[in-house]
Amino acid sequence: MTTHDHPPFFSTWRKAYWFAMVLFAIEVALLYAFTLRFS
Amino acid sequence: MNRLDYIVLFATILAIPLYGLWRTYNHPNLREYLKGDKTIRWGTIGLSVLATQAGPITFLSMPGQAYESGIGFIQNYFGQPLALIVVCAVFVPIYQRLKVYTAYEYLGQRFDKKTRLLGGFLFLIQRGIAGGITIYAPAIILSALLGWDLNLTIWLAGGFVIAYTVVGGTKIVSLTQRYQILVILIGMALAFGIAVHRLPADLSFGDALQIAGRMGKLQAVDFSIDPSKRYTFWSGILGGFFLSLSYFGADQSQVQRYLAGGSLRASRIGLLFNALVKVPMQFVILLLGAMVFLFYQFEKPPIFFNQPTYQRALQTGYGPKLNQLQTQFDEVFVRKRELLQSAGPQSPAAELQQLDSRARGIREETRKVLEQAGANPKSKDSDYVFITFVLQHLPHGVVGLLVAVIFCATMSATSAVLNALGSTTAVDFYRVFRPGASDHHYVVATRWLTLGWGIVTIAVASFCSLVENLIEAGNILASVFYGSILGLFLVAFFLRQVRGSAVFFAAVLAQTLVLALFFTTNIGYLWYNFIGCAAVLLFAWILQSTLFRPNEPSAAASH
Repeated sequence: MTTHDHPPFFSTWRKAYWFAMVLFAIEVALLYAFTLRFS
Repeated sequence: MNRLDYIVLFATILAIPLYGLWRTYNHPNLREYLKGDKTIRWGTIGLSVLATQAGPITFLSMPGQAYESGIGFIQNYFGQPLALIVVCAVFVPIYQRLKVYTAYEYLGQRFDKKTRLLGGFLFLIQRGIAGGITIYAPAIILSALLGWDLNLTIWLAGGFVIAYTVVGGTKIVSLTQRYQILVILIGMALAFGIAVHRLPADLSFGDALQIAGRMGKLQAVDFSIDPSKRYTFWSGILGGFFLSLSYFGADQSQVQRYLAGGSLRASRIGLLFNALVKVPMQFVILLLGAMVFLFYQFEKPPIFFNQPTYQRALQTGYGPKLNQLQTQFDEVFVRKRELLQSAGPQSPAAELQQLDSRARGIREETRKVLEQAGANPKSKDSDYVFITFVLQHLPHGVVGLLVAVIFCATMSATSAVLNALGSTTAVDFYRVFRPGASDHHYVVATRWLTLGWGIVTIAVASFCSLVENLIEAGNILASVFYGSILGLFLVAFFLRQVRGSAVFFAAVLAQTLVLALFFTTNIGYLWYNFIGCAAVLLFAWILQSTLFRPNEPSAAASH
């Protein structure tokens, strides 16, 4: 294990992954709104 | 293209590698040559990963794809952010912890030498051929439209890349890719702005989107579960996930990008950056295609964008038939334009779509006549849409910049591939069979091997004219090999009881199965990713539970 893999970092990265997933979900939602608006 | 365009083109494509050579020229040890140094931070990694994936096909084909079928292709990228998160969480920590130079080196540590060689071998075959296609595809299109000699174009795109990749290794690849992708993004943004600006003055951007939507070009997301639909949210999430997981997790041309610098944090942030920007970037490129489509509703488009092929066919006995189709195409165009000019965004959608469908039908008939006439285009006509728009309707200077964008995309994707091919051959083959030499010896060997692969890719590019549909060929090739390679890694991570011999023979069997299916059935090629991967997992588990059960010695445990 490197210092980056210690528990506090696991927690930080888990938050980062959730954050990335939420942003991706927002991107898809915006694209869907775009589809509804212009189709 | 005039003199200004050529100045912009050559200044752009030469300045970046020369700057890269100036910044990186030194006498690196093997680690620096294969992984760069600590100065490579997450921004460079993120842009480098983006540039490696965004090859010339992306910028030539995507706008044409939207022109023909709308922006629904964006859904193919929906699996990528999820796959990148898995790569960040599972693949990257293992690669960084073990300090491997290549992904296949990990297979050697987890299993044994033969599995490492198999993983490396499958990668080398697939990428060696795909690298040639990456060079050839833009070369055939640019040489056809600009009248350049094909071989000269191939050497222009490929020769310079070989030189700077051999000299600078990973560090120069990452550095040049950072600036190449910036040129690409600036060029595409400029093309987007000009395409919108060239629409009729009384048409606002909102009205333009309304019309494109009414003509069925702006359906970005489709939640339909109808399997006959080509692009849906579900196919994008599932198919895109497996393809992206293979590509980012097990393809050395990407692995080498995010391992550059050696920092786990930088690798992860660089990949997460890609997870966030890829979908918006592809959306803008596809929307550019929709704007080009709209532009050609007011400005008459050619009936066939690959004009050199069309003009050749006109000289044959099929000239009268083609002229007849041209007359029909012109009539449809005039009716469509009159409708749009009179009613604007309130034009009846059904009538617009009917006219557009008729126009596409005439274009398809034209393509068939061209085939009968023996004028055999080497790629889809939609690949010529965007570059035709650029060459005919953008101002001088910008034309040079956009052609430079195509070259930058070719150079950035090719440099990553050559860097990975040279590294894999040196680390996973040469160093395995000739251990114990000095660091300098391996750097020199890697340089020669990179040069050798450069010559191979140029040779492949020179023989690509034998392939019928280039872009499809590239995707098929990747799908046929990616499944088995990904399967090797997933067994390594998740089936801890499986040892080297079981996974090796499982991968050989799975690859044989995929090749047999490829040559004997008509399964959609994206399925090969899933079939190959699932077959390796299943066969490995069965073989380990049966034939290889008794006390096979464990390889060096890495978990």
